[in-house]
Amino acid sequence: MIKFSNVSLIYPQSTKTVLEDLSCEIQEGEMVLVIGQTGSGKSSLLRLVNGLVPHHTGGILAGDISVDGISTREVRPGNLAHLVGIVGQNPINGFVTDVVEEELAFGMEALNIPHDVMRKRVEEVLDLLGLNAVRNRNIATLSGGEQQRVAIGAALVMHPKVLVLDEPTSALDPIAAEEVLSILHRLVHDLSVTVIIAEHRLERVIQFVDRIIYIEGNGETSIGSAEEILARSTLVPPIIRLARALNLQEIGTSVRDVRRHTSHLRDIPTPESDLTTITNTSTWKTIVDVKKVSLSYGQTEALKQVSASIASGEIVAVMGRNGAGKSSLLELIVGLHRPTHGSVTVLDQDPSALHGNARRKMIGYVPQEPSDLLYLQSVAQECHQADSDSDLTPGTTFSFLGRLVPNISESTHPNDLSEGQRLALVLSIVLSSNPDLLVLDEPTRGLDYQAKNLFMLALKEYAQTLNNPVILATHDVELVAELADRVIFVAEGEIVADGCTLDVLLSSPAFAPQVAKVMSPKPWLTVDDVISALGTQP
Amino acid sequence: MKAPLHPLTLWIWALLLAIGVITLNSSWVALFVVGVAVAVYLIRLDGAPWNATFWWSIRIALAIVFIRLIVGVVIGVPIPGTTLFSIPRISLPQWMPGIRIGGDVTLERLSSSAHEGLIIATLIVLFGAATALTSPHKLLRVLPIFVYEIGITLVIATSVFPQLAQSLHRIRNAQKMRGIEKISLRTIALPLLEQSLSRSLLLAESMESRGFGVHGKRSRYKPSPWNLRDSVVVLASLSFCIVMVAA
Repeated sequence: MIKFSNVSLIYPQSTKTVLEDLSCEIQEGEMVLVIGQTGSGKSSLLRLVNGLVPHHTGGILAGDISVDGISTREVRPGNLAHLVGIVGQNPINGFVTDVVEEELAFGMEALNIPHDVMRKRVEEVLDLLGLNAVRNRNIATLSGGEQQRVAIGAALVMHPKVLVLDEPTSALDPIAAEEVLSILHRLVHDLSVTVIIAEHRLERVIQFVDRIIYIEGNGETSIGSAEEILARSTLVPPIIRLARALNLQEIGTSVRDVRRHTSHLRDIPTPESDLTTITNTSTWKTIVDVKKVSLSYGQTEALKQVSASIASGEIVAVMGRNGAGKSSLLELIVGLHRPTHGSVTVLDQDPSALHGNARRKMIGYVPQEPSDLLYLQSVAQECHQADSDSDLTPGTTFSFLGRLVPNISESTHPNDLSEGQRLALVLSIVLSSNPDLLVLDEPTRGLDYQAKNLFMLALKEYAQTLNNPVILATHDVELVAELADRVIFVAEGEIVADGCTLDVLLSSPAFAPQVAKVMSPKPWLTVDDVISALGTQP
Repeated sequence: MKAPLHPLTLWIWALLLAIGVITLNSSWVALFVVGVAVAVYLIRLDGAPWNATFWWSIRIALAIVFIRLIVGVVIGVPIPGTTLFSIPRISLPQWMPGIRIGGDVTLERLSSSAHEGLIIATLIVLFGAATALTSPHKLLRVLPIFVYEIGITLVIATSVFPQLAQSLHRIRNAQKMRGIEKISLRTIALPLLEQSLSRSLLLAESMESRGFGVHGKRSRYKPSPWNLRDSVVVLASLSFCIVMVAA
C-alpha cells in the first residue's frame, strides 16, 4: 500500500538529518505505530505519506514514496485526498466549517462527489463513529473526544485506503482515548484501512499495533514487530519495563499476555500492604484551602460546592474527563477567577488579589500552553528576565535549566525548542522565584518517556526539598501513579473521589495504570512498587 | 424550527425594498419600512449566532442619523425658512462660496438632514436584517463558484478572529500569573502572532490535504430548495417596490 524507497529527509538551514535511507513497505490493513523522542521527526514521517512534506512545508527529499502506486513527488497532497486521510495533532485547528455535518462533507464537496453519494457516506460515517447525536452541533461546543472523532470522520468519508493520525489521543482522557483507539482498531479489521499513527503514550496504543517504526533521532530508523522493537528501544511503556525488571523471558504488549507470564508472581504471599506512607503529619501545614466553592460561567456551572485542602509537600493530581472542571479548579486556586460562592485561600490570602512580585513569590503556574508565558527572542533572554524579575544572581535560572535538560543552547529561540525543552524552560522560569505553591495544567502533553522522567524528578525535588505542594491536572495515569501522593477526581464539577493515589486509581478500571492491571488484585501501581514488594530477585 | 427560507430570499427582499425607498424618497415610507424590517427580524429570529448582528446595524443606523444631523447643523448650504436658533458663524475665505460653518439653523435645514440620514439608515437596517437572518455559510453555498472560493477565505478569516480573541485571553491570563501586569505590545503581540500564524498554516495544511481546490467544480452537500414561500416573499416585495417606484 505504502512504499518508502531509500527515503532521506533534511530541512534547509538544519544540520540534522530527519530521516536517512528509510526503506519499507506497509501492507494493506496494517496498523503501524511511529515512535521516537519529541522532535525526532515523527510528524515529518507522517506528512511524507500524503506529500505535505515536502510540498507544503519545504525540505529536501531524496528517494521516493509511493501510495497505492502513486508517487507523492509527482502530485500535490490534494490529489491524494481520496487515498490518504490525515488527522492532525490538534483537530480543532484543522476544521474548516463549523457544523459537524458540513465538516464531514467538506472534502467530498471539494472533490465534486455527487450529492446522493455524499449523503450516503455522511450517514455511514455518522453511524460508524457514533456521531449521529451531534450531527447538527457546532464543532466548537463538542468535547475533545467528539472533536477527534469528527476529524477522523472527515477523513473517512473520502473512503481513504490509508489513515494517518498524529497523536490522536494526546489531549484526551483515558476513556475518550480508548473510544478513539477502538474505532481505529475496527477500521483496520473490518475495512482493511491501513493506519499509521504516532503516539507518545505507548501504553495506550501498543496492544493494537502490528508493527513499529522507530525513529532513533539521528536519522536512523528501524522497523519491526512491536516485540522486536520494544525489546531494545529506550522508549518503552510501563508494561515492558515491568517485564524487563522481572527478567521475564518473553515480553508481551497487552495486559493479558503479561498477566499470563506473571501469574506465578501474584501467588507469592507478600506482607499486608505496608504502602501507607509514614509521614509525620505534625509538620504538615495547610497551604491551599478550598471551601464550598462554586463557579459558574454564565449559565453553565463549572464547579459545584467543592471543598478540598492541600498541605505542604504534597503532590496532588487532579483527574477527570475532558470538561469535568479540572482546569476551573486550578484557575480558582491560582486566582484567575473569583469563586461565585465560597472561598479559596492560599497561605490565608485571597489568590485573586495577588499582583506582580507577591504573586510570583507565592504561586507558580504553568499553563496548558507553556509557550503563552514566553515572549523573548532566546532562551538566554528569557532566563535573564527571570533572574532580574526575582533579583537572583545572573545565571541562576539558566543553570537550573541546564540541570533539567543538559545540552540546551542559550541562543535558541523558544519556538525552536522541543516540547520537553520548552516545558523545562517554563518550569525553570516559574520556579526561579521560588514560589510557595506550584500549579501545572496538563504538563506532559507531547512529552516522551525520557522527558517525562526528568520532569518528574524536578517536581519531586521541588516538593520534597522545599516541602512545597504541587498541584497538577492531567490525563496521564502512568504519570500520576509514579508521581502523585494524592488524587482528586473531578466529575461534572464535583469532587467524586479524594484520597491517596493507590486507592483512587485502583478503584476505577479505566484509570488504573498498566502495572496495576497486570498485577491486580495486588495493590501495586508502578514497576518500583512491584520490585520493592517482591524483593530484588523474584 | 421555523420553515427555512432560501438564503437569497431575504436579500432579494431587502434589495427590492431598498430600491423602492430610494426612488420614493419619503421619510414616512422609510420609517414604515424600518418598522417592517424590525417586524420581519423579530418574526424570523431563530437563535443563530449571527442574529445578534441586527442590533449592531440598528445602532449604526442611529449613529448615522445622528451624525448627519450634527453635520447638517454645523456645515451646510443655507436653506431659508423658519429660524430655530443660531450658532456663531465662522467666516470662510472668499473662494469657498456656498459652504458655511455655523450660522442660523432653520427648521427646513434640520428636516432635510434628518431625511437624508433616515434614508441611509433604512438601507442599513434592511440589509442588516437580511444578514442577521441568513446563515452566511448557506448564503455562500448558493453563490456562484468563483464567489465561493473568495467567500470561504472570508469565512475562515472571520473564524480566525474569535480564535485570536481566545488566544489573547489565554496569553494575558498566563502572563498575569507570571506577575506581568502591564499590557505591552511586546509581551502580547509576539506569542499571539506566532500562535495565529502557526494555526493558519495548520488550517491551510488541512484544507490542502482534504483536496481543496483540486477540482474546478464543487458539488453541494445540502442544496437549498426554492419554495413557494420564497416566491411569495419575493413577489410581495416586488409589487411593493413597483408601487413605490410608480408613485
